Amino acid sequence: MTTCQECKNFFPLEEDPNRGDCVQRVKDPRQAYYQAKPVNAEDDASACASFQKKQQ
Amino acid sequence: MAQPALKDTRVEEFEKKQEWWWVAEKRRSGRLDYLRKAIWKKGAIGGLYAPGVKTDLEQAVLTTNMAKSLEGSPDPYVVKSAKLFAHILDNKTIFITDHAQLVGYTGSLPNTMNWNPSIASILNSEVFNDPISIPEPVDKNQAVIQEIVDYWAGKTDLDKMMPVFDIDDLMKMLSGSIGWGVPLARGGYSNKDYEYIMTGNRGFQDIIDELDKKMDEIDDAVHEPTANKEIAMMYDRLNNWEAMRIALEAGIRIAKRYARLARIMAENFEEDPQRKEELLKIAAACEQVPAHPPRNLQESFQYDIFIQMMSRTEAIEGAWPCRPDYYHGPYYDKDVHIDKTLTKEEALDLVGEFLIRAAEVCQFKPKWAREGLQGIDGTWVWTMGGVDEKGKDACNDLTIAFMQAARLVRVANPTFAFRWHPQVKDEVMREVFECIRHGLGYPSIRNDPILVSNAMHWHGHPIEEARLWVHQACMSPNPTTKHGYQPMRMANATANCAKIIEYVFTSGFDPVVNMQVGAETPDVSTFKNFEAFFDAWVLQMRTIFSILVRSVNRARLLAPTMTPRPFLSGLSERCIESGQDTCDPSIARGNAWITAFTWVENADSLAAVKKLVFDEGKYSLAELKDALAKNWNGYEDMRLDFVKNAPKWGNDDDDVDRIMLRCLDACAKFSKELKCPCGNNWPILPENVSGNIHYANIVGALPNGRRLGDALYDGGISPGPGLDKKGPTAVLKSCGKIDHVTQGRAFLLNQRLSPTQLAGEKGFQLWKAYMRTWADLGLDHVQFNMVDDATLRSAQKDPEKYQEVIVRVAGYSAHFVDISRKTQDNIIQRTVQGLG
Repeated sequence: MTTCQECKNFFPLEEDPNRGDCVQRVKDPRQAYYQAKPVNAEDDASACASFQKKQQ
Repeated sequence: MAQPALKDTRVEEFEKKQEWWWVAEKRRSGRLDYLRKAIWKKGAIGGLYAPGVKTDLEQAVLTTNMAKSLEGSPDPYVVKSAKLFAHILDNKTIFITDHAQLVGYTGSLPNTMNWNPSIASILNSEVFNDPISIPEPVDKNQAVIQEIVDYWAGKTDLDKMMPVFDIDDLMKMLSGSIGWGVPLARGGYSNKDYEYIMTGNRGFQDIIDELDKKMDEIDDAVHEPTANKEIAMMYDRLNNWEAMRIALEAGIRIAKRYARLARIMAENFEEDPQRKEELLKIAAACEQVPAHPPRNLQESFQYDIFIQMMSRTEAIEGAWPCRPDYYHGPYYDKDVHIDKTLTKEEALDLVGEFLIRAAEVCQFKPKWAREGLQGIDGTWVWTMGGVDEKGKDACNDLTIAFMQAARLVRVANPTFAFRWHPQVKDEVMREVFECIRHGLGYPSIRNDPILVSNAMHWHGHPIEEARLWVHQACMSPNPTTKHGYQPMRMANATANCAKIIEYVFTSGFDPVVNMQVGAETPDVSTFKNFEAFFDAWVLQMRTIFSILVRSVNRARLLAPTMTPRPFLSGLSERCIESGQDTCDPSIARGNAWITAFTWVENADSLAAVKKLVFDEGKYSLAELKDALAKNWNGYEDMRLDFVKNAPKWGNDDDDVDRIMLRCLDACAKFSKELKCPCGNNWPILPENVSGNIHYANIVGALPNGRRLGDALYDGGISPGPGLDKKGPTAVLKSCGKIDHVTQGRAFLLNQRLSPTQLAGEKGFQLWKAYMRTWADLGLDHVQFNMVDDATLRSAQKDPEKYQEVIVRVAGYSAHFVDISRKTQDNIIQRTVQGLG
C-alpha cells in the first residue's frame, strides 16, 4: 500500500514523525496559495490524485 | 511590494469622473491589488450565494465525527464543547495566500463558507437544499450533507432549546412575521473583553497559566475537611476553567500550524528572497501570537484575526464588534514612529490587508439572513475614533491609515463607524470625509458625547467604561470592559415594527402567516377617538416586544449550561476570575436592546389616521380597515389622499413629529419595564439593514398609503424615500426633536448627498457645516450615500462595468450590483439633499 510518508508533499512533524502535513500548491480562479492538511504517515495514499513519489 | 500597482496617467481622469474604484486600483500597491482581487465574493447576491463559493464540508464532517466519538464520554457538556472546538482547529485544512502577510480564515479553503452543523437544524436543512453552494461532485456531497443533517437532527443548540421555550412565543417568533433571527448564544453578535485581551498585557498562555493557578487553588479548597453549597458549586467552575484551557490551548496550536506552514513554504518552495523573509516573519508572528502578547503591528493584527477566526469556529457571528485604531494604534506608533521598522507605505499595506482578511470571512447563513443583509456576510461595523477612558481624543495615526487603506481596497465589509466628538482634529475629519466622498458609504458618524451619556442612562455603565464603547452590531454601543461587554446579542430581539400599526387594524391577527400574533385589541372601527386608537397601538407594541424579549431572556438564562462558549469565556476577565460562562448574566451588567425594523411607518401612519380620520373626519376607521384589508384595491383615490395629504416625518412638521415622540416615549417607558436577566433595560434601536425589502411581502397595507409588496422605508428614523421635501435641515430638525439619550438606544439616519456639490475644498466645508448642525441638534447617527443617480442607473443597465460601485444600504454598505433590484431602486429613490 502506498502511504503518505512516501509522498514529497508529506512534511512530518519533528516531535512526532508519524504525523505531518500534506502541503500542496493550489491555484484557484482567484488566487494561488499553499495549503496544509494534517495526515498520518501511514495513511493510505494509493487513491490520492496528488501523490508524488518522494525522491530517495 | 508597497509600490503602486501601475503608474497610470488616467488616474486624474478617473478622479474627475469620480470613478473612485478605478482610482483605487491604480493607486494601491501590487500586493494589495493582488489580495483585493483574490477575494471570493461571499456576500449573497440578492439572497443567493455567488457561483464558485461553496459550503465547507470539511469542518462539518470534523464536527460530526468528533461529536459521535464524544457521545460515550463522561466529560461534562462544556468540556465536550471545548474538545469539539479543539478538534476542528487541530484538523482543518489551512492555507497561506501568495503575497499575504496575515493568515487565518474561517473555512478550509478560500472559496468556502464555514458550516457549523451543531447550531440549528433549520440552518442544516438550508445547506442541504441550497441550489448553488454544494461542492462538486454534488450527488456525493449531498449524501454527505444528508448524513450530517440526519445526525444533528434533535441534537443542535436550537433543537435542544426549543422544548424549553414558551411554545406560543416560539411559534409567533418563528413565523417570521414579527422577529428576525433565533435566540441562541452561538448565533448572533459577540462583543469581547478587549480591555483584557487586546491591551498588550497578556496572550493565551498567560491566561492558561492563570487558569492553572485557579484550578489548583480550587482543587485544594474542595478537598478541605468541610462541605457546603459553595464547594458543591466549585466543580462547575472547575469544568468551565478546564474547557477554557482546552479551547485556548487549541488556539495556540493552530497558530503554530500556520507558523509551520509558512516555514515549510520558505524553506522548500519559495525562491524569492524577499518573499522568503516575509514567510519567516509570518512564522515568527504565529509563534508569538496568540500565545503571547504581540510585539509589533503585524502581530497585533494577526492576534486579532486569530481571535475572530476562532470565535467564528465556536459560533455563527453576525457582527464584528471591535475598535482597531484604538487597540492596534500603539503598535502602529511604535513601528512607524519610534522603532521605524515600518514605513508608512508598508504599514498601509498591512492595514489594507487586515481589511481584506475581514472582507473574505464567511459562514453559511440562512436565507432570511442573506435577504436581510444583501451583499454581505454580516455587519462588520468597525468602530473608529472616539475618546479614551479619560475622555481624551483617541484618534491616532492608525485612524488615518484605516481611512486611507479603505479608499485603496474599497471593500464593502467591514465598514467603519466614526465616533465624532468636539476634539476631533480637522485632518482626521478630512480623511473621514474623503471616504464618504469616494462613495464608500462609510464611515457612518456617531455622536460620541451623546452615546456615552446614552450608555450610562440605559445600562448604567460607569463613564470610564461607557467611553470605551464599540458597535456591537450596526449601531448599538457596548463597552469592551470586564462587566460591560455583552458576550452575545441574540438577533431575534429584532422587531418588525410596521406590524404594530398593522395589528391595530387586524386586532392582532396576522393575515400573512394566518395566526393570532399580536394582542386581541378591539375592532378598530369601534375606536371613537385618537387616544383609544393610540392605546391599541401601545398594547400591540408591548405585546410584540414582550414575545421577542421573553425568548431572548430565556435563552440567555439557559446559555451557560445548554450552549456554553468556552473559547469566548477564555478571553474574559470576569470568566477567568469566576469560573462562569461568558453568557452567565450574574456577572454581567447587561446591554440589551430591541432593534426596531420598519419603525417610521408607525409615525406616518398614526399621523395620517389622526388627520384624515379623527381631525378632518374625511374617512371612517371602518372604511380604512376595509381599504387596508383589500390592499387599497378599489380605494386608489383614498390611498393617494393618505400619501399626499397626511404629514410625513422628516419635514420639521410638528403634527407628525409630535406623534413620533409620543411613540418613542411609550417605548422608552416600556423599555424600563422590560428587564434582561442581568436586571437591565431593553431600549429600542430603530434601524433596518435591508429588512425593508425582506419584509415588503410580509407587512400588509398601511395607513401611510403603502401597499403590500411595496418596499418599506429604509429605516431607523430616515424619512420615507422621496417624502422629505423640505431639505436636509428640516430632516435634521425633525430628528433633532428626539432625545437621543433617553428615548432609545440609537437612531439610524440615512442621507444622500450630491457628489458634484461636495467636490473639492468647498464640498468639505459644506459638509462640515452640515455636521455642525447635526451635532448641535444632538443626533447620535448619520450616514451618507454619495453616488449620483446617473452612476447607479448605469450600474443597473450594465452591471459588469460597475462591479465596484459601493452604496450604503442601511447599517452597512454593499456593492450595488450585489443587492436586489428592489433594494437598488429604493436607494435611488432616496432624496438627494442639496447642502448650503
